[in-house]
Amino acid sequence: MTIALIAGSGMAGRAAALTLRRVGWTGEIVLVGDDPEYPYERPPLSKSVVVGTADMSKVIKPAPEVYEQERIDLRRGVTVTGADASAKTAELSDGSTVAWDALVIATGCAPRELPIPGLDRPGVHRVTRLDEALEIQAVLATGPKHLAIIGGGFIGMEVAAAAVAAGHTATVLEAAPEPMSRPLGLEVAERVLQWATDRGVVVRAGVGVEQVSGDDIATGVRLVGGEEIDADLVIVAVGQTPRLELARQLGCVEVVGGVQVDAGMRTSVTDVYAVGDIAAFPSTWADEDRIRVEHAAVAIGHGQVAAEQIATGAGLFEDIPSFWSDQGDLTFNVVGVARPDDEIIWRGDQVLPACTAFYLRNGTLRAAFSVGDMKTLRGVRKLFAAGVSPTREQLGDPDVDLAALAAAG
Amino acid sequence: MTQVAIGSLSDFPEGTPTRVEADGTALCIVRVGDTVHAICDDCPHAEASLSEGDFLADDMAIECPLHGSAFNLTTGDPDCPPATEAVEVFTVTVDGDSVLVDI
Ligand SMILES: Cc1cc2nc3c(=O)[nH]c(=O)nc-3n(C[C@H](O)[C@H](O)[C@H](O)COP(=O)(O)OP(=O)(O)OC[C@H]3O[C@@H](n4cnc5c(N)ncnc54)[C@H](O)[C@@H]3O)c2cc1C
Ligand code: FES
Repeated sequence: MTIALIAGSGMAGRAAALTLRRVGWTGEIVLVGDDPEYPYERPPLSKSVVVGTADMSKVIKPAPEVYEQERIDLRRGVTVTGADASAKTAELSDGSTVAWDALVIATGCAPRELPIPGLDRPGVHRVTRLDEALEIQAVLATGPKHLAIIGGGFIGMEVAAAAVAAGHTATVLEAAPEPMSRPLGLEVAERVLQWATDRGVVVRAGVGVEQVSGDDIATGVRLVGGEEIDADLVIVAVGQTPRLELARQLGCVEVVGGVQVDAGMRTSVTDVYAVGDIAAFPSTWADEDRIRVEHAAVAIGHGQVAAEQIATGAGLFEDIPSFWSDQGDLTFNVVGVARPDDEIIWRGDQVLPACTAFYLRNGTLRAAFSVGDMKTLRGVRKLFAAGVSPTREQLGDPDVDLAALAAAG
Repeated sequence: MTQVAIGSLSDFPEGTPTRVEADGTALCIVRVGDTVHAICDDCPHAEASLSEGDFLADDMAIECPLHGSAFNLTTGDPDCPPATEAVEVFTVTVDGDSVLVDI
C-alpha cells in the first residue's frame, strides 16, 4: 500500500488530503496536525469568529465524519517531530513512526515573537489558531470591551473592524508609519484605513509598544515615550514566520525565506512536496526566481496540485496569486501581486465602498485591487492569462471592458 | 423530496440571478433561454448570497460577489478557491409557464 503523509492539517494540508481522494487516489492518507481541532478555515478567525457571528459549520469543515468516509487517517494534536528522506520515515509526537512514499510538508507559519515584556500575561491574545480566536470571542461576549491591537496588518485591522462593528472599541498600534501600505501601496492603504477610522477604529501609526501593562493580568500597553493605552484585552497580530524545521531536517533547498519547489510543488528532495505559506514557488510575479505568498487561495491551490502530482504525476500550480480581506463591512479582493512602489491607476473617480485600483510596474499591469467590482477583477485575470496589458487610459476608463480587451489579444 | 412552485418563467429575467425562498431553502435562480437553473443561494465558502453575484454566460456559472469563486450551474463545482466544495444543485422542471424545483 502506498502511503501519503501530510505534515500540517491547515489550509494547504487539508486541501491536499481531500484532493487525493477527489482525484481517485486509493493509497493510505495520514494527515497529521499539531492542532487538536478538526481542520478549519483560518481566515474567519480574525473576522466572524472573534465576534461570534460565524456559522461554525463553515469554519470547521469538512464535517468530522468526512475523514472516516474518505479514509483519511487524521491525527489531531500530533506533531511530526522528525523525518528521514533516505529511509522515507517520519516520527510523530505520539511515539509512532510512519513509513511514507510521498511526504507533503504543509507546516504554515508560526506567529512572530515580539521582544516586549508581559506578552505572556492573561489578557494578551493571539488569533492564529481557532482556540485562540474562541478565547477572544468568550471575552467579547461578556459585554462591550476595549481592545488594544498590536499590529496594523490585515489581521489586526480585521479584528479591529469586526470588533467595532459588534459594538466594542479598538485601538490599533502599528510601528510602520503607513499601515497596510506594503501589501496595498500607500494610496490604496490610505482609503482602506480611512474607511476603518470613519467607522470608529482608532489607528495609531508609527508607534512602538514598550510593554504590556498590568501586574497579574494585562490592563493595556505602554507605548515608547510613556503613553498608556488602557484596554480590556490586548491582541498581538504582528506577522509570522514560516515553520521550516521539518523541511530543513529533510535537507530541502531554501530560497526567498521558504522551501524551494517547482510548479508541481516538488522540493529538491525526491517525493517530498512543500505547500502553502512555506512554499517558494515559480511565478511570473516573482521578483527573484521564486515567490512566497501567505494567502489562503494560494495555499489551497498548492495542496490541490501536490495531490494531483502524487496521484497522477501531472498538475502544475499556475494560478494567479490572489487574496481577500474582510474588514467589517468592507471586503476587498486583490488579484496579482502589488508592490508598494507600483504606479496606481484608479478606475474612474469611484470611491469606497465601490472602487478599483490597478498597479503598474514599468507601465505593465501587475495587480488590481477592488471593492465591489468582481467583473473588473475577472477581466484582469483574463488580461493576465492572455498576456495583455492595457494602456493607462483604458484602465482608467470605467466604460472599457477589460475582458473584451483580453479576448482581442 | 417535494416539488415546489417558485413562479413563472417571466419572473426570472434572462441571465439575472434571482433569490427565491422555497420550502425554507434560499435558492439562486437563473434563467438561460428556456432553461432554468437552481442552486443553493448560500455560498459554501463564507457568508454571501450567490444571487447578488454575476452570471458568467461563458462559464455557465454564478460568481460569488464576495471572494469570486464561480459555481457551475450544472455541477455546482467552484472554478477556483477560496471555495473548494460544490454548492447544492436542484432539479428544475418548467411546466408550461410555471417553474418547479425539487427540494
Ligand atoms: C487570522 C488569519 C486570518 C487570515 N485571513 C486571510 C484572508 O482573509 N485571506 C487570505 O487570503 N488569507 C488569509 N490568511 C492567510 C491564510 O490563512 C494562510 O495563508 C493559510 O492558512 C496557509 O495555509 P498553510 O496550510 O500553509 O498553513 P496553516 O493554515 O497555518 O496550517 C499549518 C498547520 O500545520 C501545523 N503544523 C506546523 N508544524 C507541524 C508539525 N511539525 N507537525 C504537525 N503539524 C504542524 C500548524 O499547527 C497548522 O495547523 C489568514 C491567516 C490568519 C492566521
Ligand atoms: S463567500 Fe463566496 S467565495 Fe467567499
